[in-house]
Amino acid sequence: MDNAGELSSTRKERSMLLAILNILFLLIVPFLFIGIINRTKAFWAGRRGAPVIQPIYDFIKLINKGEVISTTSSYIFKVYPVITYASIIFAGLLIPIISHKSVLDFKLNFILFAYILAFGKFFALIGAMDTGSSFEGIGASREVTFSTIAEPAFFIVIASFVALTGNYSFQDIFLFLQKSNTFVYLITVLSAVTFFIILLVEGSRVPVDDPNTHLELTMIHEVMVLDNSGPDLAFICHGAAIKMTIFAILIANLLLPERIGIIYSSLLLLVIISAISIVIGTIESLVARLRMTHVPQFIFISISVSLIMLSATLLFIYGGAK
Amino acid sequence: MIIFFLGISFILAGGFGALLINEKEKARCLAIFSGIGTFFILVPAIKVLVSGITITSTIKFTYPIGNVSLIIDPLSAFFLSLISIMSFIGIIYSIGYIKPYLHKRMAISSHYFFLSILVISMLLVCIVQNALAFLVVWEIMAISSFFLVIFESEKKEVIHAGINYIINMHIGLFILMVGFLILSINAGNVDFSSFKVLLNTNTSFTNTMFIIFFLGFGVKAGFFPVHTWLPRAHPAAPSHISGMMSGIMIKTGIYGILRILTLINKPSLTLSYFVLMISIISAVYGIIYAIRQNDIKKMLAYCSIENIGIIGIGIGIGMLGLSYNNNIVAIMGFSGSILHILNHSIFKGLLFYGAGFIYQKTHTKNMEHLGGLAKKMPAVSLLFLIGSIAISGLPPFNGFISEFIIYNGMFQSFLVRNPFILVTVIISVASLALVGAMALLCFTKAFSAIFLGNAKNTYTESINDMSPAMLVSMVVLAIFTLLIGLFPQYVFKLLINPVSVLVPSYHFSVESLNFVSTLSTLSWCIMAFIIIAGLIYLIRYLLLKQRSVYQYKTWDCGYQAGNNRMQYTSSSYADPFLSLTKPLVHNEVELTRIEGFFPQEASMKTHNHDVVEIYLLKPAFKGIKSLLNLFSWVQSGDTQLYIFYGLTSLVATLLWIMLAN
Repeated sequence: MDNAGELSSTRKERSMLLAILNILFLLIVPFLFIGIINRTKAFWAGRRGAPVIQPIYDFIKLINKGEVISTTSSYIFKVYPVITYASIIFAGLLIPIISHKSVLDFKLNFILFAYILAFGKFFALIGAMDTGSSFEGIGASREVTFSTIAEPAFFIVIASFVALTGNYSFQDIFLFLQKSNTFVYLITVLSAVTFFIILLVEGSRVPVDDPNTHLELTMIHEVMVLDNSGPDLAFICHGAAIKMTIFAILIANLLLPERIGIIYSSLLLLVIISAISIVIGTIESLVARLRMTHVPQFIFISISVSLIMLSATLLFIYGGAK
Repeated sequence: MIIFFLGISFILAGGFGALLINEKEKARCLAIFSGIGTFFILVPAIKVLVSGITITSTIKFTYPIGNVSLIIDPLSAFFLSLISIMSFIGIIYSIGYIKPYLHKRMAISSHYFFLSILVISMLLVCIVQNALAFLVVWEIMAISSFFLVIFESEKKEVIHAGINYIINMHIGLFILMVGFLILSINAGNVDFSSFKVLLNTNTSFTNTMFIIFFLGFGVKAGFFPVHTWLPRAHPAAPSHISGMMSGIMIKTGIYGILRILTLINKPSLTLSYFVLMISIISAVYGIIYAIRQNDIKKMLAYCSIENIGIIGIGIGIGMLGLSYNNNIVAIMGFSGSILHILNHSIFKGLLFYGAGFIYQKTHTKNMEHLGGLAKKMPAVSLLFLIGSIAISGLPPFNGFISEFIIYNGMFQSFLVRNPFILVTVIISVASLALVGAMALLCFTKAFSAIFLGNAKNTYTESINDMSPAMLVSMVVLAIFTLLIGLFPQYVFKLLINPVSVLVPSYHFSVESLNFVSTLSTLSWCIMAFIIIAGLIYLIRYLLLKQRSVYQYKTWDCGYQAGNNRMQYTSSSYADPFLSLTKPLVHNEVELTRIEGFFPQEASMKTHNHDVVEIYLLKPAFKGIKSLLNLFSWVQSGDTQLYIFYGLTSLVATLLWIMLAN
């Protein structure tokens, strides 16, 4: 009796510790994610580039500043960075990070994941419109268009996973996939491609959007936050980085092998995430941004890939591909 | 049942009272009486809803109606509570809304009289079990709401919309009459319960009958392609009426469909796929057209079509569950759709009431002419924001919960190992997600065009004096949205009894118990999210407390001559997305281009047309008209000729009887 109580209390402590580790991972790794992307771009441009932890310095610098608030704006402008930031952090708690465990694991948590991100996006959009700037209007209208068409792809992938694995939460789905046999790799790779395109759309990276552009008319995400400054801007930048990292973690979860211990799995996670950021940096250096009218076609690729993945899933379940 | 009729008579008394009393007090009179009436109606309704018992009663009429059996089962009880509470809130709102119309020789007496009649007829529709009596109250509902729609009858477009509405309603009524006629001739009885045997013998007969009823009730509910009256009638009606029509009256159509479903033990697969398909099309079509609108109320009307689509998707999933004998799928589908009925009436009421307030103060419904209202009317903007988030299906409000339950039903259906159901359901999952994303687009557009940025218009009136009646009714609705969003587990438990009417073999199973625990985890998570957001806001507050926060104009990229009309408008916001949907819509553009070195005049006008109206209804009506024109010689306008017709038919009948004998 005593022994069992002790066991459960150590288990509780262990899961608390894991949760804290997960949250730390979620908050710190995004800085490095952006740092590695920038370093990669510097490498391709033949520069030495800023240190990998430069985004942390930027964050601290912004946090320590005051703010300028537009006279046009209303109360929305003051609360939206916080709400968007909170929604992204919360979404991060729903996905499995270290040791294949999510902080908040329950049935159908992927729906809450998608909808809480959408909630944050709702506020980001009206926050941008609140300034009455036509530039920020451009950004908001493009952002909402692109993320709207990217939405079904995510759900098709997740629904196929549910059909394939018979599990109903991120954690269980990934655990199942990590245990599975070779044919599932095809499905895994296809879904990784879909997630990667969603990452590029949601993170506003090349070829959808160029974060380093210098003309407001061509931007998407950067132009939405023209009027933010100080801590609000710090929240927005860090939030955007976390969002990209979340999708990178989802991709990494698809590629991780079955349970290999906390240390190995988190190291492997870091390696995969860095690899993804290097890929993003390389794409950004070698590929030009698409013309704005061609971006939807690029996003539709994600839907087509997810549909191919759905067919592969059908083949797997009913075609005897086991 | 007696208490129920006591409630009904109170509402009727309120209606008659409003006829007699002083103009200023009419609204208050009906509000007080309907408040008492609502209380009396809720007593049996809540009792049935909680305990799951069924109250029955019979009224004996003479020929041709015969005995009318009345029933309050949990399904009716749900609709009774919904209708009585929401119409009570609507009447409270109207106390404030009607004020500017007083003493302008408007037909306020008849307005309130017909309002009470509408409420009563909606309540009766939900309990009558006799086909003939049902059609009678159904027709009373259509006619009384017609008089409510044409309140501002001096306006031409209002009359136009009203006539369009009444014609549509009668097409629906006609289809229902056909359906009920076929059933009652075959059954030899007009009682609903006698149809039950008939509807469970021959599958193809059942399918045809269900599709007839789906069409007939669908006109009321606003399913694609019989939705075209909604975007006309809602903008024409005064806001409390549009809120009530969209919130509860169109739900009687859904009630009809559900009531027919209770008569069918096991709907066939074809029917389930049919309902699912129509619903998905309605949802996608409705929201795409909602995004295209710049008139607030028209946008909300199209949005009702979208939400009816979502409700229909839930019903379709429930029917799939029934036809595959999978109870949990059926339970989830029906609970999701019934909860969405409730949710939609709450947030749609909230949004229509908000729109009514904006219209009252600014005298425009065009979003392009508004803007900057968040600073002028912060309370309304916050309430409208809550409604917008809720209708986009986002947490922590109620719209998310019903969609979550429907999603759960969809994902549970994968356990039925069948490739067709898998593909269909995944398509529905993707469409529901797409519809949610488009609703987000639609309402970020609406909210920012109305409330944010700089005003594109100068507002003259003292813009923020809001009557307490309007404010209270909107705040109550907003609290409902939040409560359902935060405590879904208790709401789900309340849905057990109404759903068990539709899923007969439903007793509270392990799966639904598990789902209740999932919902309570969900509610904890949503609260955790609110706490996280609060903490971060606290951090921000503490950081900025000591620092300089100063105000400056919006970044204008160095351009000094900007003005308010250079902001992003609602149409420009939606344009990138709408350009992708071009094949689905019909846009008429009148364009005078800028030409030459010294351009003189340039203009652009766009007209949004409903594709269904242009390509389906117009040709159909044209065809009917030219067909009927062939007989126009019959109606010459000559009185002698008409007497001749009468005489001929009389003689013919006599001859026929004589020969038959």
